[in-house]
Amino acid sequence: MLARTLENAGIATTSISMVREHTEKTKPPRALFVPFPFGYALGRPNDSDLQHRVLRAALDLLAEPTGPVLRDFPEEAGPADEPAAPTQASGIAPGGAVADDPALETTQMRRYHEQWVAGGDGRTAFGLCGIPATRFRGVVRFLQAVAAGEEADMEERPAELPLPSFIRYCADDWKALYWEGRMAMKPTAGGDEIARWFWGETAAGQVLRRVRDRLDASDDPRWKAAAFGVAR
Amino acid sequence: MPRLDRLPQINRNNLLMLPVQVNESAPRTPLPRPLAGCRLAIVTTAGLHRRADRPFGPGEQTFRVIPAETPAAEIVQSHTSLGFDRVPIMRDLNISFPIDRLRELAARGELGGVAPHHYSFVGAQRDLKRIEQETGPEVGRRLREEGVEAALVTPT
Repeated sequence: MLARTLENAGIATTSISMVREHTEKTKPPRALFVPFPFGYALGRPNDSDLQHRVLRAALDLLAEPTGPVLRDFPEEAGPADEPAAPTQASGIAPGGAVADDPALETTQMRRYHEQWVAGGDGRTAFGLCGIPATRFRGVVRFLQAVAAGEEADMEERPAELPLPSFIRYCADDWKALYWEGRMAMKPTAGGDEIARWFWGETAAGQVLRRVRDRLDASDDPRWKAAAFGVAR
Repeated sequence: MPRLDRLPQINRNNLLMLPVQVNESAPRTPLPRPLAGCRLAIVTTAGLHRRADRPFGPGEQTFRVIPAETPAAEIVQSHTSLGFDRVPIMRDLNISFPIDRLRELAARGELGGVAPHHYSFVGAQRDLKRIEQETGPEVGRRLREEGVEAALVTPT
């Protein structure tokens, strides 16, 4: 739909499509269907050759004489080298030996997260809720209160930001800290492996399961939508 | 649907139930000259923006501007749906925002140039009216004013 709108405004567009069935219906002017898992639009991270092949195939469509055109990227990722879609929390049973001190666990994960930031180009997905990692114990206490069903809020929440959205950003930052910290701890870890570890073995994962339940128990659709984004 | 069968059931259902627009044909703006003479922008639905920008809220149909020179460390993603794996974009921004690859194409002369600004929306939307009627055309206008002829539309 976005590509069609831009094309109507006089821009030649080419799109990367992840769901062929949707693209067949929406009919963007030119689209390349890629057989990769969600999150892998250009192929594989840090694989510049594959990314260039995908890009080239998408850009070649700009020279097509007629449209709409929907082409399949010719390289099929084999099942063996295709990463599995991350398992959702509801599909992962918590392990027996989960620590029950999420604040301490978070402090320890922060060291690994600092390694992740220092080891890369300074990139981090952390930073949506606006509270720095060094003060994240306050966020952990807040999320624990939400999980316990208390009427909790934080003075750092911008007045115009609805509470369920703020809870979501706090949960997102907590996950980013653990996900990236885990990649510093275990550089080969993939998305499914990290999801299994987080939801199955960490105290943070168990708090976020309860946060999800609290949000989902609300009658307000905005709270329910936030629940679906925290854990499902 | 080669990949949907490999998704967790809850994600698969969510996708299959997403109502999508059904169109019979597509608009068409041909490239005015070969790509080696054109300026190209990335327009992504990955919910990316500069760190200092306000994050995207649920269902938000506005856009964010990402100047081409923005360092990768200053770009974050506030589209954090559990419907996709976030590990690849944590490892490499190019997986949805292939800015380094475009610069390489431009340096090799295969692309005329990289646009001064890229644009970002947030995907997985149900109501798209405002993007269709207001914010999408606004991005199209801006691209034309910036001398851009082509756009690569990328998802997360």
